[in-house]
Amino acid sequence: MKVIRYVVRVLLYFYPLVLLAIFWEFIARSGLVRPLFLPPLSALPETAEHLYREGALLAPLAISLYRAFAGLALALLIGSVVGIAMSRSRALRWFAEPLVAVAFPAPKLAFLPVFVLWFGLGHLTKILLVAFSCVFPIIIGFYNAANAVSPVLIWSAQSMGASELNILRRVLLPACVPALFATIRINLPVALIITFTAEMIVGGKGLGDDLTYAQRMFDTPTVYVYILVMLAIGLLVDNVILWTRRRVLGWYEENEPGDRV
Amino acid sequence: MTVSNRLRTALSFSGPFVIFAALWQAASAWLAPDPTMFPGLGAIAYALVRLSAGPELWSNLGISLARNYLGLALAIVAGVSLGSCMARYPIANGFFSPLVGATYSLPKTALIPLLLLWLGVGSTTDTTAVFLSCLLPIVVHSYHGAKDTPRVLLWSAAALGTPDRALLPRVMLPSSLPQIVTGTRIALGFSYVVTIAAEMIASKSGIGKLIFVYGGSGAYDYLFATILVIIVVAYLVDQAYVRLTATLLRWHHWE
Repeated sequence: MKVIRYVVRVLLYFYPLVLLAIFWEFIARSGLVRPLFLPPLSALPETAEHLYREGALLAPLAISLYRAFAGLALALLIGSVVGIAMSRSRALRWFAEPLVAVAFPAPKLAFLPVFVLWFGLGHLTKILLVAFSCVFPIIIGFYNAANAVSPVLIWSAQSMGASELNILRRVLLPACVPALFATIRINLPVALIITFTAEMIVGGKGLGDDLTYAQRMFDTPTVYVYILVMLAIGLLVDNVILWTRRRVLGWYEENEPGDRV
Repeated sequence: MTVSNRLRTALSFSGPFVIFAALWQAASAWLAPDPTMFPGLGAIAYALVRLSAGPELWSNLGISLARNYLGLALAIVAGVSLGSCMARYPIANGFFSPLVGATYSLPKTALIPLLLLWLGVGSTTDTTAVFLSCLLPIVVHSYHGAKDTPRVLLWSAAALGTPDRALLPRVMLPSSLPQIVTGTRIALGFSYVVTIAAEMIASKSGIGKLIFVYGGSGAYDYLFATILVIIVVAYLVDQAYVRLTATLLRWHHWE
């Protein structure tokens, strides 16, 4: 009984999506739009199954995800080190702050031809472009988090004889954990977008490459399946991050737009 | 601020760029196996002068910025209307919030191939792609801004005789402006990526197309010069936006 009530509630909440699906199916079947532009929704599972059996679904997805995550991990590594170091060193702050300020709003995708020139068409170009796109917001996030630590805490640690390394481990790093989650949540979608987009533009395997290929072959059902897969991955990844943050950071109150829409 | 103070700030701000340029020059001279692949400052500066003299750079930049800001402007109009209506009317919220939630995390550039199919190659596709990408951040921020309108303001307005249907434009909308400004700045940063992506994937003109052509034809000094122009434009527009909105919303207590 409880399960049924739950299902009904979910269906009621998502009724616009159901309406949209019915509308899509109706328009496609009515002949108002050519199937080249809009294949019926009911035809997509078959296409998806076909792609899955050919190995044209999971393999490219794995390649894209590997690139996105590797790039993000690299950006987190560099960004956290630079951000925390900036909050501790005046000279570094003087040097890095203007550069970060100018690089932050720049569209890093414009560097794609440069990265292709230097690093080729494979994994490396995409991973480095993702890292380059994500690293500046991460630097700012960690710098702000480390800067927000009350100096009293650092002075107390110093007066009790803590070394710089101990201050880092016991005071600064714990204070940066919320920033870690916030920056991952903001930059993982960026990483996915940059990966898919770079693949769409220059190819070199991955879901984005296959998507533009299908579009050029006018294989529209495949295009729709790939877009829906990208959408599902985005949703899944975001929910995994939110779930993990609730687990790890129950003590930390945070409300940002987009948490609940 | 006195003149000498200003000068000192400017010098201190430009110092890192001088160091960066020196490092770039050194890397170009000693590290790069092939100097054309990593042009030095001289080559880039020369390309910059040649580019600014001709129409190629400016016309393509103009087209791209027109597509970009038209898409963004449409997204602001549609996003603010939708977001504030969702905050005010539960029916609108019940209908649009699942749609927004389901499409929020879609990498919007994935729609570009689809838009190419529907609308063909050209400005319509690029502008629509920018519009769709910028829409959701603005909807979400505008929604939260209007939703967070202090109840006291709404009650006071109602007590002073504001009719029910005027509460949205007269109270909730002004109160949500700071959030709208934040959402628009996020969308602004996003819009360039989408414009460039759309132009690189398929376009006959635009700055994205231009750098792609320079990259493909081996004119790397021109490539770097064009990228430099893009970085400067994006930075200046962002700064102008921040200054302007801070002045317009000086009644708001920014955190």
